[in-house]
Amino acid sequence: MDESLSLKPFLKETGKVSKFTIRYLSKWFLPPYEIKELIRQCYVIGYKSLPLVGLTGFIMGLVLTMQLRPFMVEYGVESRLPTIVGIAIIREIGPVITALIFAGKIGSSIGAELGSMKVTEQIDAMEVSGTNPFKYLVVSRVFATTLMLPVLAILSDAIALYGSYLGVNIKGETSFKLFWNQIFEALEFRDVLPAYIKTYFFGFAVGIIGCYKGFFCEKGTEGVGQSANASVVIASVLIFILDLLSVQITELLGFN
Amino acid sequence: MKKEIGNDVKLGLFVLSSILFLILLLYMIGKNKNFFGSNLKIRSRFENVQGLKAGNNVRFAGINIGTVDVVNIIDDTTLEVSMNIEDKMKDIIKANSIVSIGTDGLVGNKVINIQAVKERERHIEQNELLPSRRAIDTDEMLKTLNKTNKDIGIIAENLKNTTNKINNSHVIWDLLSDKSIPKKIHASLENINQSSNKIKTLLNHSNEIVEHVMSGNGSIGLLLYDTIMRANLFTTIENFRILGKHANEISKQISYTLDSFNNDLHNSKGTIHALLNDSLLTHKIHTSVDNIDRSSSGLNEIIDAIKQSFLFRAYFRKIEEKKTRGLK
Repeated sequence: MDESLSLKPFLKETGKVSKFTIRYLSKWFLPPYEIKELIRQCYVIGYKSLPLVGLTGFIMGLVLTMQLRPFMVEYGVESRLPTIVGIAIIREIGPVITALIFAGKIGSSIGAELGSMKVTEQIDAMEVSGTNPFKYLVVSRVFATTLMLPVLAILSDAIALYGSYLGVNIKGETSFKLFWNQIFEALEFRDVLPAYIKTYFFGFAVGIIGCYKGFFCEKGTEGVGQSANASVVIASVLIFILDLLSVQITELLGFN
Repeated sequence: MKKEIGNDVKLGLFVLSSILFLILLLYMIGKNKNFFGSNLKIRSRFENVQGLKAGNNVRFAGINIGTVDVVNIIDDTTLEVSMNIEDKMKDIIKANSIVSIGTDGLVGNKVINIQAVKERERHIEQNELLPSRRAIDTDEMLKTLNKTNKDIGIIAENLKNTTNKINNSHVIWDLLSDKSIPKKIHASLENINQSSNKIKTLLNHSNEIVEHVMSGNGSIGLLLYDTIMRANLFTTIENFRILGKHANEISKQISYTLDSFNNDLHNSKGTIHALLNDSLLTHKIHTSVDNIDRSSSGLNEIIDAIKQSFLFRAYFRKIEEKKTRGLK
Protein backbone atom coordinates (compact mmCIF):
# COMPACT_ATOMS: atom_id res chain seq x y z
CA MET A 1 0.00 0.00 0.00
CA ASP A 2 2.58 2.46 1.16
CA GLU A 3 5.03 1.09 -1.36
CA SER A 4 2.68 1.66 -4.31
CA LEU A 5 1.59 5.15 -3.26
CA SER A 6 4.99 6.48 -2.31
CA LEU A 7 7.24 8.28 -4.72
CA LYS A 8 10.08 5.83 -4.36
CA PRO A 9 9.03 3.12 -6.87
CA PHE A 10 8.14 5.77 -9.38
CA LEU A 11 11.54 7.41 -9.04
CA LYS A 12 13.19 4.01 -9.16
CA GLU A 13 11.35 3.15 -12.35
CA THR A 14 12.23 6.52 -13.85
CA GLY A 15 15.85 6.03 -12.99
CA LYS A 16 15.84 2.59 -14.56
CA VAL A 17 14.20 3.87 -17.74
CA SER A 18 16.76 6.67 -17.92
CA LYS A 19 19.60 4.20 -17.49
CA PHE A 20 18.05 2.01 -20.20
CA THR A 21 17.81 5.03 -22.49
CA ILE A 22 21.43 5.95 -21.92
CA ARG A 23 22.39 2.37 -22.62
CA TYR A 24 20.44 2.52 -25.88
CA LEU A 25 22.07 5.79 -26.88
CA SER A 26 25.53 4.51 -26.11
CA LYS A 27 24.99 1.32 -28.11
CA TRP A 28 23.11 2.96 -30.92
CA PHE A 29 26.02 4.23 -33.02
CA LEU A 30 28.41 1.42 -32.22
CA PRO A 31 28.81 -1.63 -34.48
CA PRO A 32 27.63 -4.23 -35.18
CA TYR A 33 24.79 -2.63 -37.10
CA GLU A 34 21.77 -4.84 -37.42
CA ILE A 35 20.58 -3.26 -40.67
CA LYS A 36 18.57 -6.22 -41.86
CA GLU A 37 16.77 -6.52 -38.55
CA LEU A 38 16.17 -2.78 -38.54
CA ILE A 39 14.54 -2.92 -41.98
CA ARG A 40 12.44 -5.88 -40.96
CA GLN A 41 11.32 -4.06 -37.82
CA CYS A 42 10.57 -0.96 -39.88
CA TYR A 43 8.38 -3.05 -42.14
CA VAL A 44 6.56 -4.64 -39.23
CA ILE A 45 6.30 -1.52 -37.13
CA GLY A 46 5.74 1.05 -39.85
CA TYR A 47 4.16 -0.51 -42.90
CA LYS A 48 1.94 -2.89 -40.99
CA SER A 49 0.60 -0.07 -38.86
CA LEU A 50 -0.40 2.02 -41.85
CA PRO A 51 -3.94 0.63 -42.30
CA LEU A 52 -4.81 1.23 -38.66
CA VAL A 53 -3.18 4.67 -38.54
CA GLY A 54 -4.69 5.59 -41.90
CA LEU A 55 -8.18 4.59 -40.77
CA THR A 56 -7.96 6.54 -37.52
CA GLY A 57 -6.50 9.54 -39.36
CA PHE A 58 -9.25 9.48 -41.97
CA ILE A 59 -11.96 9.23 -39.33
CA MET A 60 -10.39 11.97 -37.23
CA GLY A 61 -10.28 14.36 -40.18
CA LEU A 62 -13.85 13.60 -41.17
CA VAL A 63 -15.27 13.74 -37.66
CA LEU A 64 -13.36 16.85 -36.64
CA THR A 65 -14.69 18.66 -39.69
CA MET A 66 -18.24 17.59 -39.08
CA GLN A 67 -18.03 18.41 -35.38
CA LEU A 68 -16.61 21.87 -36.00
CA ARG A 69 -19.00 22.84 -38.76
CA PRO A 70 -22.01 23.87 -36.58
CA PHE A 71 -19.88 26.29 -34.58
CA MET A 72 -18.18 27.67 -37.65
CA VAL A 73 -21.60 28.22 -39.22
CA GLU A 74 -22.79 29.90 -36.03
CA TYR A 75 -19.88 32.35 -36.14
CA GLY A 76 -20.33 32.89 -39.85
CA VAL A 77 -16.89 31.59 -40.75
CA GLU A 78 -17.90 28.37 -42.46
CA SER A 79 -15.57 29.17 -45.31
CA ARG A 80 -12.62 28.95 -42.92
CA LEU A 81 -13.48 25.38 -41.99
CA PRO A 82 -10.68 23.82 -44.10
CA THR A 83 -8.20 26.25 -42.61
CA ILE A 84 -8.99 25.51 -39.00
CA VAL A 85 -9.28 21.75 -39.53
CA GLY A 86 -6.04 21.74 -41.52
CA ILE A 87 -4.17 23.55 -38.80
CA ALA A 88 -5.64 21.32 -36.08
CA ILE A 89 -4.68 18.18 -37.96
CA ILE A 90 -1.17 19.25 -38.92
CA ARG A 91 -0.28 20.78 -35.58
CA GLU A 92 -1.84 18.46 -33.08
CA ILE A 93 -4.37 15.83 -34.05
CA GLY A 94 -2.25 14.08 -36.68
CA PRO A 95 0.90 13.54 -34.60
CA VAL A 96 -0.79 12.85 -31.27
CA ILE A 97 -3.55 10.52 -32.45
CA THR A 98 -1.10 8.64 -34.63
CA ALA A 99 1.34 8.33 -31.72
CA LEU A 100 -1.40 7.06 -29.39
CA ILE A 101 -2.58 4.45 -31.88
CA PHE A 102 1.02 3.57 -32.52
CA ALA A 103 1.66 3.19 -28.80
CA GLY A 104 -1.40 0.99 -28.50
CA LYS A 105 -0.39 -1.26 -31.35
CA ILE A 106 3.43 -1.25 -31.33
CA GLY A 107 4.13 -0.49 -27.66
CA SER A 108 2.07 -3.46 -26.54
CA SER A 109 3.44 -5.78 -29.21
CA ILE A 110 7.05 -4.92 -28.39
CA GLY A 111 6.39 -5.24 -24.68
CA ALA A 112 4.71 -8.61 -25.13
CA GLU A 113 7.24 -9.91 -27.65
CA LEU A 114 10.32 -9.01 -25.62
CA GLY A 115 8.57 -10.00 -22.41
CA SER A 116 7.78 -13.47 -23.67
CA MET A 117 11.32 -13.77 -25.02
CA LYS A 118 12.66 -12.81 -21.63
CA VAL A 119 10.32 -15.18 -19.79
CA THR A 120 11.18 -18.08 -22.09
CA GLU A 121 14.86 -17.15 -21.67
CA GLN A 122 15.41 -16.66 -25.39
CA ILE A 123 17.31 -13.49 -24.60
CA ASP A 124 19.74 -15.34 -22.44
CA ALA A 125 20.13 -17.98 -25.16
CA MET A 126 20.85 -15.23 -27.65
CA GLU A 127 23.57 -13.89 -25.43
CA VAL A 128 25.10 -17.34 -25.24
CA SER A 129 25.01 -17.74 -29.02
CA GLY A 130 27.12 -14.62 -29.39
CA THR A 131 24.50 -12.18 -30.61
CA ASN A 132 24.14 -9.04 -28.62
CA PRO A 133 20.47 -9.21 -27.60
CA PHE A 134 20.34 -5.55 -26.63
CA LYS A 135 21.71 -4.55 -30.00
CA TYR A 136 19.62 -7.01 -31.97
CA LEU A 137 16.32 -6.62 -30.14
CA VAL A 138 16.26 -3.23 -28.47
CA VAL A 139 18.30 -0.91 -30.65
CA SER A 140 16.70 -2.06 -33.89
CA ARG A 141 13.16 -1.78 -32.49
CA VAL A 142 13.61 1.59 -30.83
CA PHE A 143 15.33 2.99 -33.88
CA ALA A 144 12.57 1.58 -36.09
CA THR A 145 9.81 3.19 -33.99
CA THR A 146 11.73 6.49 -33.94
CA LEU A 147 11.97 6.45 -37.71
CA MET A 148 8.54 5.09 -38.51
CA LEU A 149 6.26 7.21 -36.37
CA PRO A 150 7.09 10.45 -38.26
CA VAL A 151 6.46 8.64 -41.52
CA LEU A 152 3.14 7.35 -40.25
CA ALA A 153 2.20 10.74 -38.81
CA ILE A 154 2.83 12.50 -42.11
CA LEU A 155 0.78 9.95 -44.03
CA SER A 156 -1.89 10.14 -41.36
CA ASP A 157 -1.96 13.94 -41.83
CA ALA A 158 -2.47 13.47 -45.55
CA ILE A 159 -5.25 10.93 -45.06
CA ALA A 160 -6.89 13.03 -42.35
CA LEU A 161 -6.85 16.07 -44.64
CA TYR A 162 -8.53 14.02 -47.33
CA GLY A 163 -11.11 12.91 -44.77
CA SER A 164 -11.60 16.52 -43.83
CA TYR A 165 -12.09 17.43 -47.48
CA LEU A 166 -14.84 14.82 -47.70
CA GLY A 167 -16.29 16.14 -44.44
CA VAL A 168 -16.37 19.68 -45.78
CA ASN A 169 -18.14 18.47 -48.89
CA ILE A 170 -20.85 16.57 -47.05
CA LYS A 171 -22.82 19.76 -46.46
CA GLY A 172 -20.86 22.37 -48.32
CA GLU A 173 -19.37 22.68 -51.76
CA THR A 174 -15.64 23.20 -51.84
CA SER A 175 -13.41 22.20 -54.72
CA PHE A 176 -10.29 20.27 -53.86
CA LYS A 177 -8.16 23.07 -55.24
CA LEU A 178 -9.81 25.65 -53.01
CA PHE A 179 -9.53 23.34 -50.01
CA TRP A 180 -5.87 22.79 -50.79
CA ASN A 181 -5.17 26.49 -51.24
CA GLN A 182 -7.03 27.44 -48.08
CA ILE A 183 -5.00 25.00 -46.02
CA PHE A 184 -1.64 25.95 -47.45
CA GLU A 185 -2.40 29.63 -47.25
CA ALA A 186 -2.89 29.30 -43.51
CA LEU A 187 -0.07 26.86 -42.83
CA GLU A 188 3.39 28.00 -41.99
CA PHE A 189 6.65 26.25 -41.30
CA ARG A 190 6.15 26.82 -37.62
CA ASP A 191 2.99 24.73 -37.83
CA VAL A 192 4.58 21.82 -39.64
CA LEU A 193 8.14 21.56 -38.34
CA PRO A 194 7.59 21.37 -34.56
CA ALA A 195 4.76 18.91 -35.12
CA TYR A 196 7.00 16.83 -37.35
CA ILE A 197 9.97 16.91 -35.01
CA LYS A 198 7.97 15.91 -31.97
CA THR A 199 6.81 12.71 -33.67
CA TYR A 200 10.42 11.46 -33.56
CA PHE A 201 10.33 11.83 -29.80
CA PHE A 202 6.93 10.16 -29.61
CA GLY A 203 8.25 7.24 -31.63
CA PHE A 204 11.35 7.00 -29.50
CA ALA A 205 9.26 7.05 -26.31
CA VAL A 206 6.96 4.27 -27.55
CA GLY A 207 9.93 2.14 -28.56
CA ILE A 208 12.01 2.69 -25.47
CA ILE A 209 9.14 2.06 -23.03
CA GLY A 210 8.01 -1.05 -24.87
CA CYS A 211 11.54 -2.44 -24.95
CA TYR A 212 12.25 -1.54 -21.34
CA LYS A 213 9.08 -3.17 -20.10
CA GLY A 214 9.70 -6.24 -22.22
CA PHE A 215 13.40 -6.48 -21.52
CA PHE A 216 12.89 -6.38 -17.78
CA CYS A 217 9.81 -8.55 -17.71
CA GLU A 218 9.42 -10.71 -14.63
CA LYS A 219 6.96 -13.12 -13.05
CA GLY A 220 6.46 -15.47 -15.94
CA THR A 221 3.54 -15.29 -18.39
CA GLU A 222 1.59 -13.00 -16.09
CA GLY A 223 4.43 -10.53 -16.33
CA VAL A 224 4.21 -10.56 -20.14
CA GLY A 225 0.66 -9.24 -20.01
CA GLN A 226 1.62 -6.70 -17.37
CA SER A 227 4.60 -5.44 -19.34
CA ALA A 228 2.48 -5.13 -22.50
CA ASN A 229 -0.18 -3.23 -20.61
CA ALA A 230 2.30 -1.02 -18.76
CA SER A 231 4.22 -0.15 -21.91
CA VAL A 232 1.03 1.11 -23.59
CA VAL A 233 -0.08 3.14 -20.58
CA ILE A 234 3.30 4.67 -19.86
CA ALA A 235 4.03 5.34 -23.53
CA SER A 236 0.64 7.07 -23.94
CA VAL A 237 1.17 9.25 -20.89
CA LEU A 238 4.69 10.00 -22.03
CA ILE A 239 3.36 11.09 -25.41
CA PHE A 240 1.15 13.69 -23.73
CA ILE A 241 3.98 14.84 -21.49
CA LEU A 242 6.27 15.18 -24.50
CA ASP A 243 3.50 17.04 -26.33
CA LEU A 244 3.26 19.50 -23.46
CA LEU A 245 7.04 19.89 -23.44
CA SER A 246 7.20 20.41 -27.18
CA VAL A 247 4.56 23.12 -27.17
CA GLN A 248 6.41 24.92 -24.38
CA ILE A 249 9.72 24.64 -26.16
CA THR A 250 8.27 25.98 -29.42
CA GLU A 251 6.64 28.76 -27.42
CA LEU A 252 9.98 29.57 -25.80
CA LEU A 253 11.76 29.56 -29.14
CA GLY A 254 9.10 31.88 -30.55
CA PHE A 255 7.83 29.51 -33.20
CA ASN A 256 4.30 29.37 -31.91
CA MET B 1 13.96 -14.35 -49.16
CA LYS B 2 11.64 -13.38 -51.99
CA LYS B 3 9.02 -12.34 -49.51
CA GLU B 4 11.54 -10.28 -47.61
CA ILE B 5 12.45 -8.34 -50.77
CA GLY B 6 8.75 -7.74 -51.39
CA ASN B 7 8.45 -6.41 -47.88
CA ASP B 8 11.43 -4.13 -48.39
CA VAL B 9 9.82 -2.70 -51.52
CA LYS B 10 6.60 -2.06 -49.64
CA LEU B 11 8.54 -0.41 -46.83
CA GLY B 12 10.45 1.74 -49.33
CA LEU B 13 7.21 2.80 -51.00
CA PHE B 14 5.70 3.57 -47.62
CA VAL B 15 8.62 5.71 -46.46
CA LEU B 16 8.99 7.43 -49.83
CA SER B 17 5.32 8.38 -50.00
CA SER B 18 5.57 9.90 -46.56
CA ILE B 19 8.72 11.82 -47.41
CA LEU B 20 7.12 13.03 -50.66
CA PHE B 21 4.11 14.34 -48.81
CA LEU B 22 6.32 16.06 -46.26
CA ILE B 23 8.35 17.68 -49.02
CA LEU B 24 5.18 18.74 -50.79
CA LEU B 25 3.85 20.21 -47.55
CA LEU B 26 7.03 22.15 -46.90
CA TYR B 27 7.32 23.23 -50.53
CA MET B 28 3.75 24.52 -50.67
CA ILE B 29 4.25 26.50 -47.50
CA GLY B 30 7.58 27.80 -48.75
CA LYS B 31 6.01 28.79 -52.05
CA ASN B 32 3.24 30.64 -50.27
CA LYS B 33 5.76 32.40 -48.07
CA ASN B 34 8.03 33.25 -50.99
CA PHE B 35 11.04 31.39 -49.71
CA PHE B 36 11.99 30.28 -53.17
CA GLY B 37 12.99 32.39 -56.13
CA SER B 38 11.98 35.75 -54.79
CA ASN B 39 14.52 38.43 -54.22
CA LEU B 40 12.65 41.54 -55.28
CA LYS B 41 12.50 43.75 -52.25
CA ILE B 42 10.37 46.87 -51.92
CA ARG B 43 9.92 49.24 -49.02
CA SER B 44 7.32 51.65 -47.73
CA ARG B 45 7.10 53.93 -44.73
CA PHE B 46 4.24 54.26 -42.28
CA GLU B 47 3.46 56.15 -39.12
CA ASN B 48 1.64 53.20 -37.59
CA VAL B 49 1.70 49.62 -38.84
CA GLN B 50 -1.22 48.45 -36.65
CA GLY B 51 0.28 45.13 -35.64
CA LEU B 52 1.69 44.19 -39.02
CA LYS B 53 4.47 41.66 -38.63
CA ALA B 54 6.94 39.71 -40.68
CA GLY B 55 5.22 37.05 -42.74
CA ASN B 56 1.99 38.95 -43.36
CA ASN B 57 0.80 38.82 -46.94
CA VAL B 58 1.43 41.52 -49.51
CA ARG B 59 -1.30 41.95 -52.07
CA PHE B 60 -1.37 43.73 -55.37
CA ALA B 61 -4.90 44.35 -56.57
CA GLY B 62 -6.06 41.61 -54.20
CA ILE B 63 -3.61 38.93 -55.34
CA ASN B 64 -1.00 37.60 -52.94
CA ILE B 65 2.37 38.50 -54.41
CA GLY B 66 4.65 38.27 -51.42
CA THR B 67 5.18 38.65 -47.72
CA VAL B 68 6.40 41.23 -45.25
CA ASP B 69 10.07 40.66 -44.59
CA VAL B 70 10.74 42.95 -41.68
CA VAL B 71 9.35 46.04 -39.95
CA ASN B 72 12.07 48.49 -38.91
CA ILE B 73 11.72 51.52 -36.70
CA ILE B 74 13.40 54.49 -38.36
CA ASP B 75 12.41 57.12 -35.82
CA ASP B 76 9.54 57.83 -33.43
CA THR B 77 7.09 58.59 -36.22
CA THR B 78 8.41 56.50 -39.06
CA LEU B 79 8.35 52.75 -39.52
CA GLU B 80 9.78 51.12 -42.57
CA VAL B 81 8.21 47.93 -43.88
CA SER B 82 10.35 45.77 -46.17
CA MET B 83 8.55 43.30 -48.37
CA ASN B 84 9.69 40.38 -50.50
CA ILE B 85 7.59 40.10 -53.62
CA GLU B 86 7.58 37.95 -56.71
CA ASP B 87 10.18 38.84 -59.31
CA LYS B 88 7.64 38.98 -62.13
CA MET B 89 5.92 41.92 -60.40
CA LYS B 90 8.92 44.03 -61.42
CA ASP B 91 7.31 44.59 -64.81
CA ILE B 92 3.86 45.21 -63.39
CA ILE B 93 4.05 47.42 -60.31
CA LYS B 94 4.83 51.05 -61.00
CA ALA B 95 6.85 53.31 -58.76
CA ASN B 96 3.86 55.52 -57.92
CA SER B 97 1.71 52.65 -56.63
CA ILE B 98 0.29 53.34 -53.18
CA VAL B 99 0.90 51.00 -50.27
CA SER B 100 -1.59 50.73 -47.44
CA ILE B 101 -2.17 48.44 -44.49
CA GLY B 102 -5.48 46.63 -44.39
CA THR B 103 -7.14 43.70 -42.73
CA ASP B 104 -7.96 40.35 -44.28
CA GLY B 105 -11.68 40.24 -43.63
CA LEU B 106 -13.15 42.02 -40.64
CA VAL B 107 -11.00 40.45 -37.93
CA GLY B 108 -8.35 38.66 -39.95
CA ASN B 109 -4.62 39.11 -40.29
CA LYS B 110 -3.10 42.39 -41.34
CA VAL B 111 -2.22 42.59 -45.01
CA ILE B 112 -0.33 45.08 -47.13
CA ASN B 113 -2.27 46.29 -50.13
CA ILE B 114 -0.45 47.77 -53.10
CA GLN B 115 -2.73 49.79 -55.29
CA ALA B 116 -1.91 50.95 -58.79
CA VAL B 117 -2.40 54.59 -59.74
CA LYS B 118 -3.62 55.39 -63.22
CA GLU B 119 -0.72 57.59 -64.15
CA ARG B 120 2.35 57.05 -66.25
CA GLU B 121 5.39 56.12 -64.25
CA ARG B 122 8.42 53.85 -64.54
CA HIS B 123 8.35 50.34 -63.09
CA ILE B 124 9.74 49.54 -59.66
CA GLU B 125 13.35 48.65 -59.07
CA GLN B 126 15.10 46.67 -56.36
CA ASN B 127 14.65 48.34 -52.95
CA GLU B 128 12.13 50.82 -54.32
CA LEU B 129 10.49 53.04 -51.70
CA LEU B 130 6.81 53.25 -52.53
CA PRO B 131 4.51 55.98 -51.21
CA SER B 132 2.13 54.91 -48.48
CA ARG B 133 -1.34 55.91 -47.46
CA ARG B 134 -2.67 56.01 -43.94
CA ALA B 135 -4.87 53.00 -43.43
CA ILE B 136 -8.37 53.15 -42.09
CA ASP B 137 -8.14 52.70 -38.36
CA THR B 138 -10.83 50.47 -36.89
CA ASP B 139 -10.99 52.58 -33.73
CA GLU B 140 -11.54 55.75 -35.72
CA MET B 141 -14.08 53.97 -37.86
CA LEU B 142 -15.98 52.85 -34.77
CA LYS B 143 -15.85 56.36 -33.31
CA THR B 144 -17.30 57.77 -36.49
CA LEU B 145 -19.87 55.01 -36.55
CA ASN B 146 -20.86 55.85 -33.01
CA LYS B 147 -21.39 59.49 -33.91
CA THR B 148 -23.29 58.52 -37.03
CA ASN B 149 -25.50 56.22 -34.99
CA LYS B 150 -26.36 59.02 -32.59
CA ASP B 151 -27.14 61.34 -35.48
CA ILE B 152 -29.30 58.70 -37.08
CA GLY B 153 -31.11 58.29 -33.78
CA ILE B 154 -31.88 62.01 -33.65
CA ILE B 155 -32.93 62.02 -37.30
CA ALA B 156 -35.18 59.02 -36.75
CA GLU B 157 -36.77 60.76 -33.75
CA ASN B 158 -37.41 63.89 -35.79
CA LEU B 159 -38.74 61.84 -38.65
CA LYS B 160 -41.08 60.07 -36.27
CA ASN B 161 -42.41 63.37 -34.97
CA THR B 162 -42.84 64.67 -38.48
CA THR B 163 -44.73 61.61 -39.64
CA ASN B 164 -46.91 61.76 -36.52
CA LYS B 165 -47.72 65.37 -37.28
CA ILE B 166 -48.48 64.52 -40.88
CA ASN B 167 -50.71 61.64 -39.80
CA ASN B 168 -52.61 63.85 -37.38
CA SER B 169 -53.03 66.74 -39.80
CA HIS B 170 -56.50 66.84 -41.45
CA VAL B 171 -55.47 69.51 -43.88
CA ILE B 172 -52.85 67.39 -45.59
CA TRP B 173 -55.13 64.37 -45.76
CA ASP B 174 -57.94 66.54 -47.18
CA LEU B 175 -55.50 67.88 -49.70
CA LEU B 176 -54.36 64.38 -50.58
CA SER B 177 -57.86 62.92 -50.78
CA ASP B 178 -59.35 65.80 -52.82
CA LYS B 179 -60.00 64.37 -56.27
CA SER B 180 -60.52 67.72 -57.97
CA ILE B 181 -56.97 68.87 -57.35
CA PRO B 182 -55.35 66.76 -60.07
CA LYS B 183 -57.85 68.11 -62.57
CA LYS B 184 -57.11 71.66 -61.49
CA ILE B 185 -53.43 71.08 -61.63
CA HIS B 186 -53.91 69.57 -65.04
CA ALA B 187 -55.87 72.63 -66.18
CA SER B 188 -53.26 74.94 -64.70
CA LEU B 189 -50.56 73.10 -66.49
CA GLU B 190 -52.54 73.34 -69.69
CA ASN B 191 -52.83 77.10 -69.19
CA ILE B 192 -49.16 77.38 -68.46
CA ASN B 193 -48.47 75.42 -71.59
CA GLN B 194 -50.63 77.73 -73.66
CA SER B 195 -49.06 80.80 -72.13
CA SER B 196 -45.64 79.50 -72.80
CA ASN B 197 -46.65 78.83 -76.40
CA LYS B 198 -47.85 82.40 -76.71
CA ILE B 199 -44.71 83.71 -75.13
CA LYS B 200 -42.77 81.62 -77.56
CA THR B 201 -44.66 83.09 -80.52
CA LEU B 202 -44.16 86.56 -79.08
CA LEU B 203 -40.50 85.96 -78.66
CA ASN B 204 -40.31 84.67 -82.22
CA HIS B 205 -41.92 87.87 -83.45
CA SER B 206 -39.64 90.00 -81.33
CA ASN B 207 -36.77 88.09 -82.69
CA GLU B 208 -37.92 88.73 -86.23
CA ILE B 209 -38.30 92.42 -85.47
CA VAL B 210 -34.88 92.63 -83.97
CA GLU B 211 -33.44 90.81 -86.94
CA HIS B 212 -35.30 93.16 -89.24
CA VAL B 213 -33.96 96.17 -87.39
CA MET B 214 -30.48 94.76 -87.31
CA SER B 215 -30.51 94.22 -91.02
CA GLY B 216 -31.16 97.99 -91.36
CA ASN B 217 -34.77 97.83 -92.59
CA GLY B 218 -37.62 100.06 -91.32
CA SER B 219 -37.43 103.42 -89.64
CA ILE B 220 -35.61 102.28 -86.55
CA GLY B 221 -33.23 100.27 -88.63
CA LEU B 222 -32.58 103.24 -90.84
CA LEU B 223 -32.15 105.39 -87.81
CA LEU B 224 -29.70 102.99 -86.30
CA TYR B 225 -27.80 101.66 -89.26
CA ASP B 226 -28.23 104.03 -92.32
CA THR B 227 -25.18 106.29 -92.59
CA ILE B 228 -26.79 108.80 -95.01
CA MET B 229 -29.73 109.18 -92.73
CA ARG B 230 -27.33 109.76 -89.92
CA ALA B 231 -25.51 112.43 -91.90
CA ASN B 232 -28.83 114.12 -92.69
CA LEU B 233 -29.80 113.94 -89.09
CA PHE B 234 -26.53 115.46 -88.18
CA THR B 235 -27.06 118.33 -90.65
CA THR B 236 -30.57 118.86 -89.32
CA ILE B 237 -29.33 119.03 -85.81
CA GLU B 238 -26.65 121.45 -86.95
CA ASN B 239 -29.31 123.54 -88.62
CA PHE B 240 -31.33 123.45 -85.46
CA ARG B 241 -28.32 124.70 -83.62
CA ILE B 242 -27.87 127.57 -86.05
CA LEU B 243 -31.56 128.29 -85.84
CA GLY B 244 -31.28 128.36 -82.10
CA LYS B 245 -28.44 130.82 -82.39
CA HIS B 246 -30.50 133.06 -84.64
CA ALA B 247 -33.47 132.72 -82.37
CA ASN B 248 -31.26 133.80 -79.57
CA GLU B 249 -30.24 136.90 -81.47
CA ILE B 250 -33.82 137.65 -82.37
CA SER B 251 -34.92 137.27 -78.83
CA LYS B 252 -32.12 139.56 -77.81
CA GLN B 253 -33.35 142.13 -80.28
CA ILE B 254 -36.90 141.69 -79.11
CA SER B 255 -35.74 142.14 -75.62
CA TYR B 256 -33.88 145.23 -76.59
CA THR B 257 -36.96 146.59 -78.41
CA LEU B 258 -39.15 145.81 -75.46
CA ASP B 259 -36.71 147.57 -73.21
CA SER B 260 -36.75 150.67 -75.33
CA PHE B 261 -40.50 150.43 -75.61
CA ASN B 262 -40.75 150.20 -71.89
CA ASN B 263 -38.44 153.09 -71.52
CA ASP B 264 -40.43 155.04 -73.93
CA LEU B 265 -43.58 154.19 -72.11
CA HIS B 266 -42.28 155.46 -68.86
CA ASN B 267 -40.77 158.58 -70.23
CA SER B 268 -43.34 161.42 -70.76
CA LYS B 269 -42.50 162.24 -74.34
CA GLY B 270 -44.03 159.62 -76.58
CA THR B 271 -47.61 159.21 -77.82
CA ILE B 272 -48.21 156.00 -75.98
CA HIS B 273 -47.05 157.53 -72.73
CA ALA B 274 -49.49 160.34 -73.32
CA LEU B 275 -52.20 157.84 -74.17
CA LEU B 276 -51.61 155.89 -71.03
CA ASN B 277 -50.64 158.54 -68.53
CA ASP B 278 -52.42 161.81 -69.50
CA SER B 279 -55.79 161.85 -67.75
CA LEU B 280 -56.92 164.93 -69.57
CA LEU B 281 -56.35 163.28 -72.83
CA THR B 282 -58.39 160.40 -71.66
CA HIS B 283 -61.22 162.60 -70.85
CA LYS B 284 -60.95 164.22 -74.22
CA ILE B 285 -60.94 160.93 -75.94
CA HIS B 286 -63.98 159.96 -73.95
CA THR B 287 -65.81 163.07 -75.07
CA SER B 288 -64.68 162.56 -78.62
CA VAL B 289 -65.88 159.03 -78.62
CA ASP B 290 -69.21 160.13 -77.23
CA ASN B 291 -69.44 162.65 -79.96
CA ILE B 292 -68.55 160.16 -82.57
CA ASP B 293 -71.16 157.81 -81.14
CA ARG B 294 -73.76 160.42 -81.31
CA SER B 295 -72.74 161.49 -84.80
CA SER B 296 -72.77 157.96 -86.03
CA SER B 297 -76.29 157.34 -84.75
CA GLY B 298 -77.32 160.49 -86.50
CA LEU B 299 -75.63 159.28 -89.59
CA ASN B 300 -77.47 155.99 -89.33
CA GLU B 301 -80.73 157.82 -89.31
CA ILE B 302 -79.65 159.75 -92.36
CA ILE B 303 -78.67 156.59 -94.17
CA ASP B 304 -81.98 154.98 -93.34
CA ALA B 305 -83.66 158.10 -94.72
CA ILE B 306 -81.60 157.85 -97.86
CA LYS B 307 -82.49 154.16 -98.23
CA GLN B 308 -86.09 155.08 -98.03
CA SER B 309 -85.79 157.81 -100.54
CA PHE B 310 -86.81 156.88 -104.07
CA LEU B 311 -83.68 158.30 -105.49
CA PHE B 312 -81.43 155.72 -104.01
CA ARG B 313 -83.83 152.76 -103.57
CA ALA B 314 -82.90 151.08 -106.83
CA TYR B 315 -79.24 151.17 -105.99
CA PHE B 316 -79.68 149.43 -102.64
CA ARG B 317 -81.88 146.72 -104.16
CA LYS B 318 -79.13 145.93 -106.66
CA ILE B 319 -76.67 145.44 -103.88
CA GLU B 320 -79.08 143.11 -102.08
CA GLU B 321 -79.46 140.94 -105.17
CA LYS B 322 -75.73 140.71 -105.65
CA LYS B 323 -75.30 139.55 -102.07
CA THR B 324 -77.90 136.77 -102.37
CA ARG B 325 -76.35 135.61 -105.63
CA GLY B 326 -72.98 135.47 -104.08
CA LEU B 327 -74.30 133.34 -101.29
CA LYS B 328 -75.76 130.89 -103.75
